[in-house]
Amino acid sequence: MKAKNKGKDFCIFALLGILFFAAVVIVPFVYGVYLTFTDWNGVSQVKNFIGLKNYIGVAKDTQFWTALLLTFKYVIVVVILVNVIAFGIAYLLTRGIKGQNFFRAGFFTPNLIGGIVLGYIWQFVFSRVFVNIGEATGMKLFEISWLSDPDKAFAAMVLVTVWQLSGYMILIYVAGFMGLSEDVLEAASLDGAAGFNKLRYIVLPLMMSSVTICLFLTLSRAFMVYDVNLALTAGGPYGTTEMAAMHVYEKAFTSRQFGVGQAEALVLFVVVACISGLQVYLTKKKEVEA
Amino acid sequence: MKRKGIARLLALALTGTMVMGTLTGCTFGFASDPDDPNEVEEEIPIDTSVDTYEYRTDLKGTEISVLNTKAEIQVALEEIAVIFEEKTGIHVEIMPVTDGDSPYTKVVSLYNAGNPPTLSILDTTDVVALAEEKAEDLTDEPWTAEAEGYLTEINGKIYSFPLCVEGRGLIYNKAVIEEALGETFDPATVKTQEDLVELLDRLVAAGIEKPVSLAKEDWSLGAHQLQYVYETYDGTTDGAAQVIEQIKSGELNLRDYDRMNGFLDLFDILKKYNVAKGDPLGADYDEMAIDLADGKTAIWLNGNWAWPNLKEAGADNDDEYGFLPYFMSNDENDFANQKIQGSASKQVMMDGQMATEDEKAAAKEFLNWLVFSELGQQLVVYRCNIIPPFQNNPYEPTDPLSRSIYEHVQNGETFSASAIVPNDHWSILGGAMQKYLADRCDREELIELIEAYWAEQE
Amino acid sequence: MEQTAMIGGRKAKIARFFAMLGLIVIFIAYMFPFLMVVINSLKQKRDIIKSPFSWLFTIKGLSFDNFVKAFTQMDFLNAFKNSMIVTVSATVLVTLLASMLAYYIVRNNNLISKIVFALMVASMIIPFQAIMIPLVSIYGGTLNVLNHRITLIFMHTGFSMAMSVFMFHGFIKGNIPIALEEAAYVEGCTRTQTFFTVVFPLLKPIISTMVILNAMAFWNDFLLPSLVLTDKKLLTLPLSTYSFYGTYSADYGTIMAGLLLCVLPILILYLVLQKQIIGGVVAGAVK
Repeated sequence: MKAKNKGKDFCIFALLGILFFAAVVIVPFVYGVYLTFTDWNGVSQVKNFIGLKNYIGVAKDTQFWTALLLTFKYVIVVVILVNVIAFGIAYLLTRGIKGQNFFRAGFFTPNLIGGIVLGYIWQFVFSRVFVNIGEATGMKLFEISWLSDPDKAFAAMVLVTVWQLSGYMILIYVAGFMGLSEDVLEAASLDGAAGFNKLRYIVLPLMMSSVTICLFLTLSRAFMVYDVNLALTAGGPYGTTEMAAMHVYEKAFTSRQFGVGQAEALVLFVVVACISGLQVYLTKKKEVEA
Repeated sequence: MKRKGIARLLALALTGTMVMGTLTGCTFGFASDPDDPNEVEEEIPIDTSVDTYEYRTDLKGTEISVLNTKAEIQVALEEIAVIFEEKTGIHVEIMPVTDGDSPYTKVVSLYNAGNPPTLSILDTTDVVALAEEKAEDLTDEPWTAEAEGYLTEINGKIYSFPLCVEGRGLIYNKAVIEEALGETFDPATVKTQEDLVELLDRLVAAGIEKPVSLAKEDWSLGAHQLQYVYETYDGTTDGAAQVIEQIKSGELNLRDYDRMNGFLDLFDILKKYNVAKGDPLGADYDEMAIDLADGKTAIWLNGNWAWPNLKEAGADNDDEYGFLPYFMSNDENDFANQKIQGSASKQVMMDGQMATEDEKAAAKEFLNWLVFSELGQQLVVYRCNIIPPFQNNPYEPTDPLSRSIYEHVQNGETFSASAIVPNDHWSILGGAMQKYLADRCDREELIELIEAYWAEQE
Repeated sequence: MEQTAMIGGRKAKIARFFAMLGLIVIFIAYMFPFLMVVINSLKQKRDIIKSPFSWLFTIKGLSFDNFVKAFTQMDFLNAFKNSMIVTVSATVLVTLLASMLAYYIVRNNNLISKIVFALMVASMIIPFQAIMIPLVSIYGGTLNVLNHRITLIFMHTGFSMAMSVFMFHGFIKGNIPIALEEAAYVEGCTRTQTFFTVVFPLLKPIISTMVILNAMAFWNDFLLPSLVLTDKKLLTLPLSTYSFYGTYSADYGTIMAGLLLCVLPILILYLVLQKQIIGGVVAGAVK
């Protein structure tokens, strides 16, 4: 490409997109960072510079660190389960199984339910359906509502997140599989005992770009979990399932410590940025360029 | 393409449904008959024949907005806005707070957006937080004279209009109790915790195994229940503020505070007879309303805002429901055992920062109209189904729960203390109460959690 | 592409059988909550709570009242129109801008590209709560442009840029051979022509995927529209369900009916695009 076109290309291809992005994300973010150094309460007209006081507040907020630790635990379980399940299902759904379009639509459908309704439906499943099953079968596992026991409530969070996120990831993995050439697909069909090895050594390396994307998305979404947390457990029972993002929101708006909440959001951002940066770096290295 | 998509979708839904049907259809119950869908709800007509209110005409064309955070009166408020505009030419836009937003968050974001509502319906805590910087001083408004005892003063000034009186206590279903005991039930005979236990034991003996519904929600446990500890100090808002100060400073040891112990004694009683005793944190709010209406339980701790739920559960306006006090001791003469708590829980704050003089005047006119015009008075009571805190309003509420609160108010059997606590009180201490409810901590640990919470407040 | 994979020995047959069986079981588990919505949207609140499992076969307990109520209370047609305008405009904008930007980044490995890409990736993990108030404060307080559809479209586009660029970037890098473009340059095409005639058609699978993901996000989004739009005439579908939620309880039957009404258009879009995803691959398969 000729050098004189560089500037023109940039304007045609990149400028507008960057502008949109910067105006909506970067500018408010930078302003938000500035706010963490002030005593602004979210509504007042005065903003005084108070240095690192909000960050000291973050350090002192033991609840935040507990929530962050719990979030780590949650992220690890969710990322592994979501990707294994979604990869597996996407693989099966690109094998030319009878009715695979029907199945794909089906796996995608639950993904459409969001927010408070999702929480309500699952609350129903955990506190009613399971309890009903427990009564009918005498199974100890379902004797009481999962949501009233800290460990089971955590498991419930994981289950719902896996259910929701894997539908999304299946879509991306399916697109990835569809992008592979026919030869590869055929070579890796479930034909014979060598199927698994072919999957492992032929398909997986070619799928690394999808894997990178899905790992990154699951990682960041799991870290940011808020909707499901709020709608399903609301942090309960007695605050034991409160994850980092929910704590940040509660701090800023329920406890009304806007500065500390905003600072905690930034700390969370830095933590997630480091971890997913590392993940992208590691998996990118394994990608094969076409 | 589209048609094919829809067909496939339908096929998908039907197949799935049928599979599930065969799997579970036999194990679980079938639908009961729903209420007749053709039943038209009858509204009490508004009498428009008398209208002595002197309308201002000079504000025609002014537009004001009301942020409504009480979702159940949205439709009624819209109707009221239309009537008000017909009479005065002032347009009132009713802005709803959508789910997922707290009123405070919404107001904050609207102020940030430079577009605050002229009037906002808020909780008292929110008004206290915002008033001195944002609110219009309403101390000299004529309606203040009619709402004695329900006004919130901040440094000697009134910044908010009390919208409604809400009361809470132990809701009982009279018919259920009478049927179980085979005799008429006079709530006045239950005067102490011991009397309550006796009543509950008799109900159990009569076949209602677990006669109490106890909500597990943190707002119910943290705000509606635990706050009795402060509010019954002497029954006044000032008293509640005093006792909170004493707890904060450590001057008052909760272990020796009779209200703390009395509260926990009653809570233990409720816990013992809780219908969800096997799994108290698995209790379902909507099911509690159904249980009470069906007679599976006889008592539910809640407030008159629970009426829409009871109504949905099948209760009628003619059914007899009422409130028992939240018994704090075994002393018959204790005011807490004689009166129920009833206070102005929703406050309307007027923007004093961005609103123009005309908008302020129009908003004030709107509030006055609600209080002083025959039309406004009727609309508030019959359409919003709320109990106005204004003595001059002659109309009586129609549902049994509001009627019970109203009668208590008329007979002087309420105390209007309303504890002003930090906004996260319900969520943090509600969590602590959940722990206690589930028997995951004892009294000592609960008290430590409460003390720790207050020690953190500035 | 309903091709049946070749049939191997008996072992393979058994493996296929179990794979299919497993798939069906997982499928039912996946569909379960959605079915609960469908079934309970046809029932009265009381029945929803007391007998969530009571079935379609007991026809007398079912009615379409919830749908009628949801339809009128939501002012469905108007809200549908609003959602449509916002979703379509933002989806078109973001698809176009993001694919171009991603293409630029992949093919120009300069400092700006690197910085922009790194910023975008990093921004995907900013908690929305951290920019919510600053955002409102800038666009409302300072610029005073809230309460317009165009502002919402603008913000939707801006917020979804990062993720879309990221996805397009991965696809272009992995699946579009540079040789094709070089051939186009030899034939005298400009960069822009090359992009739209050679590259863009090859992006079909990822475009379909991104269109459905973005459209779904815009269509269902609640928080951002609730911050931007307050005028009732402009409310989008999810916002218009506000009246079903009370302070202490909610009107579940109507909520579920409303949810289904909101979700149907997106589901149809998916079913339509699914064919495109497949068709795109077949047409553009690089061998």
